[in-house]
Formats: sequence, C-alpha cells, structure tokens
Amino acid sequence: MATITADKPVLPTKKPSFQLDLTSSSLIGLTLVATGAILVLVGVVLWLSFTEGTPGDPVLQYTLEHYRSLFLDGFTYRVLWNTVLFSLTTLATSFCLAIPIAWLMERTDFPAKPIVFTLMTTALLIPSFAVALGWVFLLHPKIGMINQGLVALFGLSEAPFDISNIFAMGVVEGMNLTPLSFVMTAVVLRSMDPALEEAAAISGAKPWQAVLRITARVLLPGLLAAAIYVAMIGFAAFDVPAILGLTRRIFTFSTYVFWVLTPSEGAPEYGSVACLSVIMIALAAFLSWCYRQAQRQAPKYAVVTGKAYRPRIATLGKWRGAAILFVALYFIVAQLLPLLMLAWASLLPYLQTPSLAALQSVSLRNFLNLPQALLWRAGSNTAILMVVVPTITLTASVAISWVVLRTRIKARGIFDFLAFLPLAIPAIVFSVAALLLALFVMRHFAPIYGTIWILIIVYAVARLSYGTRMTNSALIQIHRELEESAQVCGAATGSVLRRVLVPLLAPSLAYAWIWIALLTYRELTLPVVISTSNNLPFSYLVWGFVQASAYGSASAAALLMLCLMLPVLLLYWLVARRAGMIAPR
Amino acid sequence: MITIRNLTMTYRTAHGEHQAVKGVSIEIKQGQFYTLLGPSGCGKTTILRCVAGLEHPDGGEIQIGGRTVYSGANRTWVPPHDRNIGMVFQSYAIWPHMTVFENVAFPLRHKKPKPNRAEIRDRVAKALSLVHLGGLEDRPAPYLSGGQQQRLALARALVAEPRVLLLDEPLSNLDAKLREEMRLEIRQVVERLGVTTLFVTHEQIEALTMSDVMSVMNDGRIIQEGSPAEIYAKPKGAFVADFIGRSNFLAGKITALAGSNGSATATVDTPIGPVHARVEAEAQIGDTVTVAIRPENVALLPHGPQPSHNEFAGTMDTIVYVGNLLDCIVTVGGEKVRLQLQPSAAVDRGTQVRLAFPVEYCLALRA
Repeated sequence: MATITADKPVLPTKKPSFQLDLTSSSLIGLTLVATGAILVLVGVVLWLSFTEGTPGDPVLQYTLEHYRSLFLDGFTYRVLWNTVLFSLTTLATSFCLAIPIAWLMERTDFPAKPIVFTLMTTALLIPSFAVALGWVFLLHPKIGMINQGLVALFGLSEAPFDISNIFAMGVVEGMNLTPLSFVMTAVVLRSMDPALEEAAAISGAKPWQAVLRITARVLLPGLLAAAIYVAMIGFAAFDVPAILGLTRRIFTFSTYVFWVLTPSEGAPEYGSVACLSVIMIALAAFLSWCYRQAQRQAPKYAVVTGKAYRPRIATLGKWRGAAILFVALYFIVAQLLPLLMLAWASLLPYLQTPSLAALQSVSLRNFLNLPQALLWRAGSNTAILMVVVPTITLTASVAISWVVLRTRIKARGIFDFLAFLPLAIPAIVFSVAALLLALFVMRHFAPIYGTIWILIIVYAVARLSYGTRMTNSALIQIHRELEESAQVCGAATGSVLRRVLVPLLAPSLAYAWIWIALLTYRELTLPVVISTSNNLPFSYLVWGFVQASAYGSASAAALLMLCLMLPVLLLYWLVARRAGMIAPR
Repeated sequence: MITIRNLTMTYRTAHGEHQAVKGVSIEIKQGQFYTLLGPSGCGKTTILRCVAGLEHPDGGEIQIGGRTVYSGANRTWVPPHDRNIGMVFQSYAIWPHMTVFENVAFPLRHKKPKPNRAEIRDRVAKALSLVHLGGLEDRPAPYLSGGQQQRLALARALVAEPRVLLLDEPLSNLDAKLREEMRLEIRQVVERLGVTTLFVTHEQIEALTMSDVMSVMNDGRIIQEGSPAEIYAKPKGAFVADFIGRSNFLAGKITALAGSNGSATATVDTPIGPVHARVEAEAQIGDTVTVAIRPENVALLPHGPQPSHNEFAGTMDTIVYVGNLLDCIVTVGGEKVRLQLQPSAAVDRGTQVRLAFPVEYCLALRA
C-alpha cells in the first residue's frame, strides 16, 4: 500500500535547465535573427539621426543639429499638417464608402454578395500606383482628359479640376483603401450579436433608438480601432501622394522623406533623412499605440459567443435598386474608370480624349518600345522576390509564434512586441533604414547594396508583423494537446513540428504565403529608395517611367503588370476558398 | 511501477505564482489502477503532467518502472518522448490531418527499434479491435463520433505497449450514458493488458467504480488515500466526507469517550443535543469535532417507541422526488438534516417526524 507523506514540501530546488534539442534551438535562433533584424533597422536610423556626414567619412560627428533645424523649419509643420489632412480625408472617404457597403453585405438581403466580396478582395491587391496613374490621366490639369474635354467644350482659359492638392490626393487614397476599410468594418458588423438589438426592441425601444443606443455603442470600439488602422495606413501611404503630388511639391511625410533623400543636386543629407524618419516612427508608434488601446477595448463589447447566431437581415425592398447602384458606382468610379484610362493611355502616343482621330493613332507601340532587357530583369527580380520573401517571412513567423506561444522563455513577450513593430513603421522608413544600413554599416563586410538581397531582407522584415499575426492566430487554434500527445507518443520536437504542427498549419500557411507574394508584387514603397537598375522589381520600373514623365511607357508597363498578376490572383482565390478566408491587409 | 517522492510544482504566470503541488508522494504498484480525485485546481492534473514530462516540477523525484525520469536533486530530466508512456488527453488530441490508422501507427513509428510495416499494420489492427474500432482504419479521424474518438485515443495510447498509462479526465467530454459505458470498457481493457494506470478525474463515481486505489486531493496535497470502499466508509476529515458522496455535518465538542482499540465511541455535544459517534482512538475529551452522517444512513422512525439515544424529533421541511428515491430535508432544532427515503414512503411536508442516526454510521471527524 502506498505511503503518504504529507510533510512540509521540500524547498524548491533549481529547475533543471530547459532541454534544448536541435530543433528548438534553431527555432529560437531564427527568432533572434528575425527580431534582431527589426531592432537593427530601427537602431541604424536612430543612430544616424544624431550624426553628420556621408558614407565613407572616417569619423562620424555626433550632433543634435538635425533635430534642431527640423523643429525650427516651418516647412516641417506644413508637411505635418498636410499629412494630417491627407490621413483624415483618406479615412473619411474610405469609411463613408466602406461602412454602407459593409452594412449592405452583412445585414441586408443585397443580391450577389459573393461577387462584391470577390471584387473587394481583388481591389485590395490592385497596385495603388496603377490607379493613381489612371487618375492623373483623368484629372491632371494639363493632360487630364476630363480637364482637356471641359476646356475644349466651354472654351475655358484654365483647367477646372486639379488632382494635385491634398484633398484630391486624400480622396483617391480613400477610394483605394475602401476595400481595406470594408473588410475591417464588415468583421466588426459580423461580430455583433443581433440578440442585443432584439433585447432593446423587446424592452420597448423603437428601431432608431435601438440603433442609436445599442448598435452604435456596441460597434463603436471596433470601428474606432479600424479607423485608427486606416489612418495609420494613410499616414504611411506613398504611392498616391508620390504620383499625384511629388511633381508639384505637395508633400506628405512619406514623400517628403523621399524628396530629401533624392535632391536634384549634390549628395543627400543622410542625417536629416534619418532624423525625419525617426519623427515618422515616433508618430506612427503613437498611432499604433492608439490602435492597440482601441483594439483592447473592443473585445469588452465583442459579442462573439461561439453560439451560432444569424444576424437579423433587413429587407431592402424598394431601396434595392439604389443600393446596387451605389455599390456599382463605387467599383466603376474608384477602380474601373482609372484602370480603363490606364489602358487607353497605354495605347496612345500621347493622351487624347476618345474620338475617331484618337482611335486611329491607337497602337501597341508603347508596349513594343519598352526596354526589353530591363523588363526581363525587373520581371525576374519580382519573381524571385515573390518566391523567396513569403518563404523567409513565414519560416521566421512560425519560429517566432512557436517561441512566443509554445515555450516558457522569459523574453517571449519581447519577441512578440518586436514582431508587431513593423506594422507601426512606415514602409518608406524601412526603405531608408535598409539604405542606411547597407551604406553605413554593411558596406565593408557584406556589400548588399544593389543586390536583390537588400530587397529580400527589407521586404521580409516589413511583412513580419503580418506573418506573425497569421501564424499566431493559426497556432492558437491548434489545441496544445495535439502536440503533447505526439510527444508522449515518442516524437521529439523536430518530429512534432514536421508530422503534426506544420501539416495542421498548412492551410493557413499556404494562404498567408500567397497573400504575402501578392503584396510583394504590388509593393512600390519599399524598393523606391534602394532599387538600382540592377535589382529593380517590376513596380520600380513603372515608377522610373513616371519620374521621367514617360507616361506612355509607364501606363504600358503598369498594364502589363496588372495582366501578369491575374494568374497569381486566380491561384489566390483557389487557396483562399479552401482556407475559407477573406483577407485583411 | 510509478514512484513519486515529495513532488512540488509552482506555476509562474504574469499574475504571480501559484503552487499547484505541495509535496506529494505516491507509490503505484505494477498493474494497479490508481486514481487522483479532487476538485478542479487541486493539482491532480499537474501531477499527471509531471509524470508525463509535460511540466517541469520544482523539486522531488519521479520514477517509472525503476528508472528515474525526474529528480530535482540530481537534475535528472527525461523528455516525454523518451519516457515510454501512453496517455489519453481530455480533448483526446486526435490528429485531424491523419486517418485512424495513421493516428494509431504514430507511436509505433517513433518507437526504437521501429517495427517493420507488416508488424505495424498488425499491431494497429490489434489495438483497434481491442477498443472495438476494427475496420475503421482508413477513415479520416475527424469523421469519428465522440465515443469513437475516445476509443481511438485509448488505442493510440496502448498500441506501443507502454509500461504506464496516463488518463487525464478522459470521460469528461462524453454524454452521461456513453460515460458509463466507457468506464467499464476502459477498466476491462486495462485489466486485460495488466498495464499500470494513473487516472485523473473530478467525478467521484468514476474514482469509486474504476480504482484499485484512489487518493482524494485538495489544494496541492493528498488528503486521504485508500481503496474506494475505505474512503467512502471512513472518510478522514470533513473535506473527504463531503467530497465523496454527501454528508450531514454537526459541529460539536466531545463530552465523553467510551470503548477502545479502534472502536472508540464519543458523545458529542451538538446544537441538536448529544450525538454518539465513532471516533479515532487518539481523540480526547474536549476536542472540537464535526459529526458526519450520510443522508442514506439517516433512518425515519415510526412514531411511538421510547426515545433512545441518537434519536431526534423534527419537522419535514422539503421533499424532492428524484425518481428512484425521495430527497428530504428535516429541520431538527434549527439544523437541516438531509435524508433519503424510498419513493413509496408515506411522508408529508410540515409533519412531525422522528429520525435515528445509527451509531455505526456516525463519524466524529477532528478538524
């Protein structure tokens, strides 16, 4: 018979050291490298913002001058004000369009919902520089077709519309971000338990009172979080303000950084660029702090009970036609029209309003005149990036998620925080950081400037926050006992990973992989300051033509890019349908 | 077969530390079915997970089949995949991306030396037929019912012929009827194979019906260990008396003692008057005790006979019909006494009744 010794517990001895096998140590190593890279990129920018000089200087001088002159320069505040206006216009435009559409999709009997969802997800991926280019062709004061037409029609002395002002830029960006806002607000609407409204109705509230007192209040934190997120994206946006505003010197922070870095004469003042980047990081960090706060508030009201409920569906009735018109108009005006303009412009030697004469000058010359060697190089660079970047990002993300969620390492909270950091850092700052790192630090022992490696590193690091959010949520859904039972059955960590964890993560990983590949394809901001004619991706080729004002070539290259994207998009839909997901950014 | 000595384990979370196991020692013999029973949070699952190697204890020692798998003093640590154990998890942990066959074959494929393919097929088939799942080899695991998943988990835990089987509340996700079936079935399979089993549950009925030896745990410590019959009949302390079955409790002081050699009887002064109860030999006059008596042992007396000791008059307060019996509460001198009667008993609410507490069922428990 057993003996019970209920005596005092012995003093806890020191725990035996955590048994590190090869697999767990490599996963931890990978986590250290990936999060270390983020720290290094941020660190380099911070360090160089306090220095004076150019790469190659034997000694760097430390100084606070950059901060002083930046804060004393009135133009800085003008840019800040512009950026705020731009972000708010973006947010207002996209929410005014997205919330009604999201409500129509989630809470009414709107017909053909799958088509709208498909179009929205596709629109998420259309490169915003392509759409922006279309708007140039529509509303540019000199070459814009609408302006040209109105001037000719009414004999005006000058163009009635100007696309190159901060509000117009904000509206264009807002229309581009509407699909993102749609996805985020639709999730919020979906998570609301209709029983709350029903309870209000039973308690004697009229429908409008229920909406005002219950629905709006319950949804507010979630919508607020989505709004901050969209404002963050607007704050960091580069494509639209660059294509619409750069030539007219109307800056937001992102384009201002670019402009300071590429002066028309002389060497760039790297210290001021770094300093400007630090300011941007600080502002973005503040926004993302607000975002996390709002997000933390949201679950208090989030009413996902696990119990299956069907949201109450409103009948549109006679408003059905108006609703369809509204949604259709959005897609036509915000997406189709600019892209059609792009196609039209790509077929013409110079931009003309559609007419019989114009039709006669239609040709494929713009396409045929594209520099073939460069085209080929850009295409293959993009292809390499699309394969390598998602692979590296997701490998690192799985490692980080595993360390954060499945080990008891003390620093795991820090790893999680670092992996979230790239979300807060504007893409242009990443680009600048990689440039500074390559020029100032790695020049001697690892000259990556001008190679594809610098792009691979910066793309992979920038997507880490998205990658880890995906792998975190996938890993959380896998019951820990599935791994523990494999361990008890005799499988070591490597075997558990290979035989249980990765197969179970596979659908989420496939989905995230292809999503990151598509984001890589459409990315313009990250390569914009680090690409050379050697390592340029496709998007940068288009950008080069835009900068040279070669709009015919630019539109031809952009259109070609859109067409080449179609098969990947198709693949995405197949994978997404299997994984059963609609994607956030 | 399993020896646990002075095991301690503390969870460290963001909200502070929580000592889940406070110095527990257990000795489980070859082929024994040993149950840890206790309320949730008492540390029973933690002990099981320490034996499996899924938790790192703070101190103590664990041996499986004479081999030390953990020792705080010698800093010995054997990872779970080298412990040669079988385990059934609360969630069953059936891998959804594998078929039934692949699930069961998994432990064999990680065994050293690895059996050849024919042998694997053979042993999987044997394990599946043991749990009545023969013929379902090719079915994807998610297409099994709850009961079938439970059997599959058992087959997977047993297929590699482990020295020790660990069961972590394996029945808690089944409905009542299936649970009853599986209780018997698990017990039979384990008995047939003669495998040493450590079973964790918070259901007393499972512990009572399945165990050779059981322990009642509370707050990281073992309160009482013994056979199910011993623990039910002679609970040590009010916690066990209340946790296993149900008991009426009457607090009081010992005013007199009689008898000796393990059959001592005490007279306890309680709010309803003096009650005679069995007591430990070490008890002293003046000790504060709690008298426990189970509802099924309280007798309802016909009116009339002379009052003798341990008989009390009261008022029938509540009668609840529960099918196979009547659950009644009688108020005696301000205390509520629960008792169980045959459904045919002729009782009415509000009537005067007389109760008897047979001395052999009254236990005076020292705090």
